[in-house]
Amino acid sequence: MPHINPDFSTEIKKYGAKDFELCFNCGNCTAICSLSTANESFPREMIRYSTLGLENELKSSLKPWLCYYCGECSSDCPRQAHPGELMMSLRRWITAKYDWTGLAGLFYKYIAAYIIGFLLIIAGVIAFASLKDFNQEVIMHYGHYFEMFAIAGVFAVVLVPNIIRMWIYTIIKPKVKAPFKSYLSAFSELIVHMFIQKRTLSCEDTRETRIRWFEHLILVIGYLSLLFTTVFLDWFGSQNLFVIVLGYIQSAIIFVVTFDFVLKRIKKKSELHKFSHPSDWFFVIWLFFMGITAFMIRLFIDVNIIENNFWLYLFHLIILVQWAVIIVPFGKWTHFLYRSFAMYFSRIQEIGALLKK
Amino acid sequence: MKKQRIGVYICHCGGNISDYVDVEQLSKLIKDEEGIIISKDVMFACADSNQKDMIQDIQDQKLDAIVVASCSPKLHTHTFRNVAIRAGINQYNYAQVNIREQCSWAHSDTPMDATIKAYGLIRAGMNRVSYSEALENVEIKTHRAVAIVGAGVAGMRAAIDSARMGNHVYLLEKDFFVGGHVAQAGKLYPTNEDGKEVVSKLYNTIRQMPNITLFTGAHLERVSGSVGSFTVEVKISPRYIATNADPQKVHRVFTDCCPENSNPLLYKDKEHRIMYKSYPEACPDIPVVDVERLQSNVAFYEKYKDIFDVNQQLQLLKLNVGSVLVTTGFDFYQPTEGEFGFKQSDKVITLPEFKKLVESNSDQLIYNGKPISSVAFIYCVGNRQTKGENKYCSRQCCAATIHTSIQLHEKYKGVKAYHVYRDIRTYGKQELLYQKSSQLGDIYLKYEEKEPPVIDCSGTRPLVKVKDYLTSKKEISFDTDLVVLVTGMVAREDRTEIASILKIPIGSDKFYNEIHPKLKPVETVIGGVYIGGACQGPKNIAESVQSALSGAAKINALIKRGTIALEPIVARINADACVWCGKCAEVCEYDAIKMVELNGKQIAEVNPATCKGCGICAPVCQPDAIEIVQYTNNEIESMIDGFMSQVDIKEKEVDAESHEEAKAGMKEYPQVWNQIVTLLDGQKLTIPQISEQLGQESNVITYHLMTMNKYSVVEPAGLDDDEAYFYYKLKK
Repeated sequence: MPHINPDFSTEIKKYGAKDFELCFNCGNCTAICSLSTANESFPREMIRYSTLGLENELKSSLKPWLCYYCGECSSDCPRQAHPGELMMSLRRWITAKYDWTGLAGLFYKYIAAYIIGFLLIIAGVIAFASLKDFNQEVIMHYGHYFEMFAIAGVFAVVLVPNIIRMWIYTIIKPKVKAPFKSYLSAFSELIVHMFIQKRTLSCEDTRETRIRWFEHLILVIGYLSLLFTTVFLDWFGSQNLFVIVLGYIQSAIIFVVTFDFVLKRIKKKSELHKFSHPSDWFFVIWLFFMGITAFMIRLFIDVNIIENNFWLYLFHLIILVQWAVIIVPFGKWTHFLYRSFAMYFSRIQEIGALLKK
Repeated sequence: MKKQRIGVYICHCGGNISDYVDVEQLSKLIKDEEGIIISKDVMFACADSNQKDMIQDIQDQKLDAIVVASCSPKLHTHTFRNVAIRAGINQYNYAQVNIREQCSWAHSDTPMDATIKAYGLIRAGMNRVSYSEALENVEIKTHRAVAIVGAGVAGMRAAIDSARMGNHVYLLEKDFFVGGHVAQAGKLYPTNEDGKEVVSKLYNTIRQMPNITLFTGAHLERVSGSVGSFTVEVKISPRYIATNADPQKVHRVFTDCCPENSNPLLYKDKEHRIMYKSYPEACPDIPVVDVERLQSNVAFYEKYKDIFDVNQQLQLLKLNVGSVLVTTGFDFYQPTEGEFGFKQSDKVITLPEFKKLVESNSDQLIYNGKPISSVAFIYCVGNRQTKGENKYCSRQCCAATIHTSIQLHEKYKGVKAYHVYRDIRTYGKQELLYQKSSQLGDIYLKYEEKEPPVIDCSGTRPLVKVKDYLTSKKEISFDTDLVVLVTGMVAREDRTEIASILKIPIGSDKFYNEIHPKLKPVETVIGGVYIGGACQGPKNIAESVQSALSGAAKINALIKRGTIALEPIVARINADACVWCGKCAEVCEYDAIKMVELNGKQIAEVNPATCKGCGICAPVCQPDAIEIVQYTNNEIESMIDGFMSQVDIKEKEVDAESHEEAKAGMKEYPQVWNQIVTLLDGQKLTIPQISEQLGQESNVITYHLMTMNKYSVVEPAGLDDDEAYFYYKLKK
């Protein structure tokens, strides 16, 4: 029998939840949500579980990932319980539960953890640079290798084990009986949602929704392809005009779109941007700096003034390492991965439920 | 003596009647009936011009009775009674016949049948009025004094206002201290005032008012008499404190007579002490002596002999009052043993007990020596039982519980509250309390009556299991330190005592019954006896005070003139025929029939002040010695004869001219038509605007305007800006 955990509300508030105790269970949020369906109804149920602190029920649920935070529920809530923000907080909380290292939880709950992590990386990078006598060419060389190994390392050590944990929580423990075939047939869900995020468009159809989806789409494509361009095509070292121009476009997309994201978070005009957790700020600001510094480095290389701007590269490297070591494995970046896997697992759950019938 | 000169007026009601009932033909036919001097059909019988004509007719033709066949007696009985009075005949020699609501409107599909029915109704009215008697209203002298039974907040507040209106008030309290439940309710929502403060404020006001006499320890023994003049007999129990005792000494002896009660959940400590008060600040500030205990403790008695007076006796008082207001309040529901673990575990207590606990613990909530860090409130205990006795909702407990829970957060640190409820009914401003409690992190779980929560007290802490309807009926459990049963209100256990003395009817919910919940909310079927506060049904303090005050106002309106005029439509005993079998007195709900001796013979006598003319006594009387005035056998039988007799009516010929004629007949339309026409000259107005400018009620204006519209005097001229009302203008 589920047992009430009255301290859960204090815990989830550290992840950014606001006033959700005010909920009186009218269900307006669920009724207004264009993504909620009869079989997969939310956010009311999630608020209820949070109020009672039923952690097992929350942990095994994929519903936090089914929400794309249009904010309709929050603006229509008669009690201003901010259901949308609770869903967002649950995504953070659940990410921390998936994370076997426990670091994600630390970063989400304590901004000090972030700052300490960032400072340590700054110190480490500068120490490394001084070890190499601040030789630009050598450092750029190592920087390039760092990117490759960071991607492989983060995936192997953190992200893949975490996704396995997510699979255990949501498929194995709730005893979903889905045949192996379903994992193959549902695979397309994973790819579609990872790259296109088409569910965003099922949120209330407004100009804002479409802009948001478009910005997100080009950001994902720009980011992933820039990663490819720098790591495998060696953008900073390349002489190929096509590669150079491609890199410029990709990095420009990143800093323009993220600049717009930062602006929106400052203006707080829509529900989505009203509350910004530190992890939200770090995500957009770091991405912005990554884009703009990469763009400028290549520009300085092209106009031949890079030798005088070594510190710019060092700054870029610090941002890059912080991004790859903290934000990607333990921060908001993982949402990109978990969300698409949630759609994948949700489809598998669905097939399992159908077979049961 | 049968009336021989009768005038009959049949109303067109501007077409409301005459469109279906052939009133012209009826008035011609009726003219030929026996005893009819005048028979007229008129456009509006109620119009000023027609009233004048009627007075003229009565005086010129020396009419002795009139019949008006128009609308419901509810509308115009007083209008035409006044016509009769102004013309110099008795107002009871007039009969109203309803041929609109009960005829033309009901039979608009069959005008011929409507005409036949109207004819029957009018003839019944004529026959009845021919047997009518000239009657005078019963005038009763009233005492400008009120007895208020029960000195809780409702009774005290009503006493103060009743006294301010210039009446003498006898405030009777059964207990030795005033304030009832409120005195011991702790902090009250929504003002956070202390119940004791409220009570002592009222008590101090009462003490300063010379025309309020408060009796404590008062027991209502008997009430006789009727509206305007009751004799209330009261038995007063003594306190056994000498009248000349030094108050300071009494107080000193009281404080050290024996130790304070250790159990904070007990309000009354009389079980333990020779002298006691309900609570330390109780008003009046004079303790009561448990005389048996005092006499068994000789040493104590000898020591403080001078403050006691063991020879005090019960006193019997007779009070003369014009009216009685009953504000006896309610009892809290007492859970049965085992109900949610009540009495089986000392960790299960009721809300009133818990409030007492909160009141007595200031920094930390401690119960039975253990700190309490979580509380589970179980709502609707003993209330809203679809199969049990108390089907109603007590309406104040939700807010009281939530208010108590908020207090927990404000007074103590880190106390967790669980609310296991069925529905939250924090109506009105109390909703804000509910919101605040949610904000403070209280957890609400909803159960249904058929699946109540289970309290498991076998462990060290009670374990509550609830099938939570808000979590898809999942069974959910939680531990808590204390279970509080939110008990609702029930009718007082001793309700029947007062009900039988005052003859107040008791409803199926066991509370006292008013006549009508909306239209006569504080009146009882007994003239001069009113009810207020929670003796009538569950109410919160504000609502209790409101109803008691409205009772005080009604009473003042009743007794302030010094006399009351009652309709003379009552039962009448034929002394020759009556053999006093007593059956009539037995069935009388109003206690209006008594046995008297007349010339050595026992007969029944009716008190015209208490009799309502309901007529229940007449059919049980075997020698047929009872008649109801205005409903005598002659009257009723003649009405049946009149209604059933043969009629000879011709089908009305419908022609275009008749409509025009009717329009021409509009000359006689009521005064208000002229006013409307003048007002609408050159402008368009809505119904609310017209009614405001003419100072008439809007339903009256609506009625006239609709009729004017029908006869093409006015026409609609579009909606107003708010699209709420139509404009009307004159039709050219």
